Amino acid sequence: MIELKHISKWINQGGKPNFILKDINLKIAEGEFISIMGPSGSGKSTLLNVIGMLDNPNEGEYIFLDQDVYKMKEKHRSQLYKTHIGFVFQAYHLIDELTVYENIETPLLYQDVKSSERKAMVADMLDRFQIVGKKDLFPSQLSGGQQQLVGIARALIAKPRLLLADEPTGNLNSKQGEEIMELFTQLNKEGVTIIQVTHSEKNSEYGSRIVHLLDGRIERNAVPNI
Amino acid sequence: MLKNYFKIAWRNILKNRFHAVINVSGLSIGIAFSLLIGAYVWGELQVNKHLKNADNQYIIQSKWKDPNMGYEMATLGPLAKELKEQYPALVANYYRFDGITSSVSKGDKHFRESLQICDTTMLNMYGFPLLYGDPKTAFKEPFSIVITEEKANKFFGKTSVAGQTLTIESFSGTKHDFMITGVLKNVTENSVQRVNSDNNNQFYIPESCLKFFGRDINQWRNLYVASYIELQKGVSPEALKKPIEQLIKANTPADISNNLQPYLVPLKEYYLNANNGLVKKMLYTVSLIACFILLMAIINFVNISISKSSSRIKEIGVRKVLGGMRKQLMTQFLIETIILVCIATFFALIIYSLANPFISDVLGKQIPKLLSFPLSFALLPAALILFIGLLAGIYPALVLSALKASDSLKGKLVSIKENILLRKSLVGFQFFTATIVFIGAIIVSKQVSLFFSKDLGYDKEFIVSAQLPRDWSAQGVQRMRTIRNEFASMSQISNVSLSYEVPNGANSGSIPFYVEGTDTTHTVATQSLTTDEQYAETYKIPLKAGSFFSSPYNANDSLKTVINETAAKAFGFSDANEAIGKKILAQGGQPITICGVTKDFHFGSMQQQIQPIAFINVDLGKIYRFLSFKLKPGNISATIEALQNKWSALLSGAPFEYTFMDDTLKKLYQSEIQLKKAAQAATAIAMIIVILGVVGLTSVSVQKRTKEIGIRKVLGAASFNIISLFLKEFVPVILIAGVISVPVAYYIMQGWLNDYTYRIPITALPFMISIIILGAITILLISFQIAKASAENPVKNLRTE
Repeated sequence: MIELKHISKWINQGGKPNFILKDINLKIAEGEFISIMGPSGSGKSTLLNVIGMLDNPNEGEYIFLDQDVYKMKEKHRSQLYKTHIGFVFQAYHLIDELTVYENIETPLLYQDVKSSERKAMVADMLDRFQIVGKKDLFPSQLSGGQQQLVGIARALIAKPRLLLADEPTGNLNSKQGEEIMELFTQLNKEGVTIIQVTHSEKNSEYGSRIVHLLDGRIERNAVPNI
Repeated sequence: MLKNYFKIAWRNILKNRFHAVINVSGLSIGIAFSLLIGAYVWGELQVNKHLKNADNQYIIQSKWKDPNMGYEMATLGPLAKELKEQYPALVANYYRFDGITSSVSKGDKHFRESLQICDTTMLNMYGFPLLYGDPKTAFKEPFSIVITEEKANKFFGKTSVAGQTLTIESFSGTKHDFMITGVLKNVTENSVQRVNSDNNNQFYIPESCLKFFGRDINQWRNLYVASYIELQKGVSPEALKKPIEQLIKANTPADISNNLQPYLVPLKEYYLNANNGLVKKMLYTVSLIACFILLMAIINFVNISISKSSSRIKEIGVRKVLGGMRKQLMTQFLIETIILVCIATFFALIIYSLANPFISDVLGKQIPKLLSFPLSFALLPAALILFIGLLAGIYPALVLSALKASDSLKGKLVSIKENILLRKSLVGFQFFTATIVFIGAIIVSKQVSLFFSKDLGYDKEFIVSAQLPRDWSAQGVQRMRTIRNEFASMSQISNVSLSYEVPNGANSGSIPFYVEGTDTTHTVATQSLTTDEQYAETYKIPLKAGSFFSSPYNANDSLKTVINETAAKAFGFSDANEAIGKKILAQGGQPITICGVTKDFHFGSMQQQIQPIAFINVDLGKIYRFLSFKLKPGNISATIEALQNKWSALLSGAPFEYTFMDDTLKKLYQSEIQLKKAAQAATAIAMIIVILGVVGLTSVSVQKRTKEIGIRKVLGAASFNIISLFLKEFVPVILIAGVISVPVAYYIMQGWLNDYTYRIPITALPFMISIIILGAITILLISFQIAKASAENPVKNLRTE
């Protein structure tokens, strides 16, 4: 599904390149559940952003669903990204001015889904995550765990094949975190490919494979030792 | 999608109520002002546009080698008629009138009115619609009269007055009834019914009645006839140059034909260009002011939107991650802007209605009411909303939507920070504009007060003038003199003078005098003022030499004259005393003896050089219009009432319509006073907008730096330190803007003042006042806001982050 070839990203500091990502080669098949680990500043989030097409590397090649991402037209790429990728953040990043319902609905708006269809899809999603009762509340009226649920619901609404999560449990207590991880496992079983960035050893083990980053390089790429 | 945009825009507006209010109020003031000015300009551009065949309508103007020889706006009596009769292939029609004022009465209603004794072509040539009467026959009968709707209402309280009569007085004092044969519908302003602001003639009397008024417009010697012609289709005005020259050469004596050059001005342009383009200049000036004010309001909007943007950065990032394209985000922001502009425009329309009377007064013109515009104009606000919305919204939209999703999610502010310079320049530009408008307002006000100052050369205080009924004969003058003496004997009155002129720039014409013993090559075109011997005493015009005729009255004074200093110089006398006893005469006239020389005074506008003046004794001139009363200080309204009673007793049947000299001067300097009021209004509005901007920006700044304020306070900063921190953002901008505005304002105002021969010097004071006041207000406002913010508990501030 995903193939990164020789991806490098750097910023120039005092004339010398300072590598954030260095020569990353990574293949991810459909249906995998990958955990990316590594210390702060090792490039985890940047790598996730590159995969999520939010950030461009300085060098390298990125094949997504057999298409070369960097040779695509902007519009095409955005289309690809809109329909196939969902994002979950540590800080939830819900839009404060929108209700739960509207937050979940927003990606569909950007994909020009018809109004009746939208209604049905959002209703399904609310139902599935058991947050129907909260649909008219604003994010500030929800607990962190609930907000993250909305965030995930929003990420999944467009039925993406790839879910990218940047420390999804970082702001949650352990019980809420566990619930989210269970949810991810469930989703993965349903066929969604998941890549998560995490600090937590425990959470990483939910993944089918762990990629360890250090100073922008892949240090280790292994199946968890269960 | 669109619905969603509206929803979120509305929620955002509600969430940032304070800034929305600032944005909306600034914008609505700016838009309302622009709309008012726009309506005013539109109204002015409509003048003469609705006349029939407007493209072929012309007015004949006169260029004299010496402008004192005749009026520019009028020309030789028979010229227009002869052009039509002798050159029918070129000229389709002609229209002339003799504008006079006389007393018009209906029963016990007496008013002084401006009359237009006119060619009968008037009703057909311009397509003026008649409410009552038949345009073909209205002027057939002698002593018929056509009046306007407005005057019909004034005299009769209704418009269906055809067949009624009005009594009008001739200049020899006789009265005659005139039958109303037509009522003209009120039409948009035009230069036929109203050739200038002094000639608002709403009574039209056919030419056949000229004799009754003792007037003649069919004489080549009559230089004062307003004349219009309609050219045949496709004929250019140049084609008439030759015919006019030939007619003048054939019919007028050398002193006219050598000096006069009539020319045609299209009526469509006449109104805007008359008086050196006075109206046009005013239109340009106010339009420019309106544009700048609107621009300032828009700048506020842009500034506040961009400063506020940091609070939206996360939202932008999220939307991008969720698949929002840049275009979609821009649409969202633009819609938000347009909603705000919509609200602002709505309020602007309310302000338009409320401020209309005020601005109409400032500009001296009734600005059209909202409902009086053609229906198609309803689209205009919509177009305006779109235009302003785009103008104000496009930049913030571009900046905000350009943020990179990954950066904005991390809360990076890189691209916003770079714009601080731009934002400061925009604020600077506002201050720059406000300062210039402010300086301009001060200088214009100062110049206007010069018009009313002691520098006039006479004392205008406590002088009231009133127009008299006419009987221009020796007996008539004697009778008026007696009446004058009756008034003078009143205890509340110190002096009364009988004259044809009051110092308002309008005199009966000029006389080409030369000193006896020299010849006509030494002629001086001298403004003649026909007055009695009390004139100098009443107006307190100081004498340089000799006496102002004789006091008490001496019948032999009729062959004496008094001149002003400028005339004495022009006649070649080395000093005033030398002039006394010398005789001057016009060609073919009697010599008159100079018995006095007055100091120079401003008879006309200070725009022009003081002209040579000769006072002609009213016994010689036998024309008069005014009694000027010098009142004794005290209860003025009681004095006026006493005057009114005395007037009714002495001059029954004549209306007592008095004017204070101040008001006469106000009329003379109408456009300057309008400019002064407009500049003051603009200053006030500019200040409000600048203040709104500063308040808005500071509050955004405070919001953003709440944490910083908290930390600094924890570290021991006093309120004063924090205030100065914020002042540093604005004070240099104000200073730089002030410094730049000085030369620009100086240049503009120098140009304006150069139009006046008599003008104030430009001092540093107006510049300092403007910059200091603007600066002080800004600093006070900022300090107040910051003091309020920093008074809060720092711990609370820190926790909110």
